[in-house]
Amino acid sequence: MEQPKSRFLAELGEGLGRHQEKNHILKEYELHLDDLLVEFSHLQEEHELRKQIENRLGSPEEIAAIWKDELSVTPGKMKWLFFFLNIIFFTGGSLLTLVHNLYEWTWLKEIWGHITAIPIVIAFIYLFFWVLLGYEIGKGFGYKGKRLLKITFLLSLIPNIILMALTVFKVIPHEWFAPLLSRQFIVICILFTLILYPVSFIGYTWGKKASL
Amino acid sequence: MFNRELVKGSTSLIMLQLLDERDMYGYELVKELEKRSDNDFSVKEGTLYPALHKLEKQGYIECYWKEQEKGPARKYYTITSAGKELLDERTREWHDFVRVMNKVMGRKQNGTAEE
Repeated sequence: MEQPKSRFLAELGEGLGRHQEKNHILKEYELHLDDLLVEFSHLQEEHELRKQIENRLGSPEEIAAIWKDELSVTPGKMKWLFFFLNIIFFTGGSLLTLVHNLYEWTWLKEIWGHITAIPIVIAFIYLFFWVLLGYEIGKGFGYKGKRLLKITFLLSLIPNIILMALTVFKVIPHEWFAPLLSRQFIVICILFTLILYPVSFIGYTWGKKASL
Repeated sequence: MFNRELVKGSTSLIMLQLLDERDMYGYELVKELEKRSDNDFSVKEGTLYPALHKLEKQGYIECYWKEQEKGPARKYYTITSAGKELLDERTREWHDFVRVMNKVMGRKQNGTAEE
């Protein structure tokens, strides 16, 4: 009665595709199937055995789909996802600033006017990004996510630090950020930067609660 | 049979509880769960391993291979200190929830209707 077992494992292996953990996963199911075969030793028909196995384990397709979901969430992917999302924010903002200062496009002037009129709203939306970063790491990686949060946070902060340095050392002309670069706005920016990690950590704690 | 979502949401907590008592391998966990629930609580056994993998990824359990006197080596799961901490927190939460639900639903602790 090894036939249903090998067929089940072959189908599961096919469903899992290429993955470095594939052999370990299949080994564990193989051991489980061995136990099930002992339990179902009274069954004579192969199709009946296969039916019982699927009844207990689920179909190979169902199992493979669950594994694909599980294996798709990795610390590396999560880290780079948030890093690149932050880069997208910065690239978008930089392009808007650059084009707005270099070209006299009326529609762009209007967009720029609307955005610079609500800096606090934008700052809160951006703050939400950092809460989300913490939440997703907490939800996906629970207790082990704490270290990943620190690494992702520091990595994602690089564009922020670079922009601050470029602005402070006047590599980027201050006039480009007019009317944003007021003393009040700079203070707000510093305060927001200081609370980024605590805010991410709150998100992480919240996500950790949802991790189980 | 219980609501599927309710079972799904409780599986990880049950796994942690069972592993808090002793290290077990996958099939053993399933059998222990069936035994304790008088077969009222059953999960699709194939979904157990991704759930265990997730708990391991989150640092709540660890695994190791152990040679057997008879048969091939088995992959055993063991709870970590972070897992124990989470289990305590979630068990308290669960008891509070059941207590409040029983109060709201007007039922006794064992779930039978009050006459």
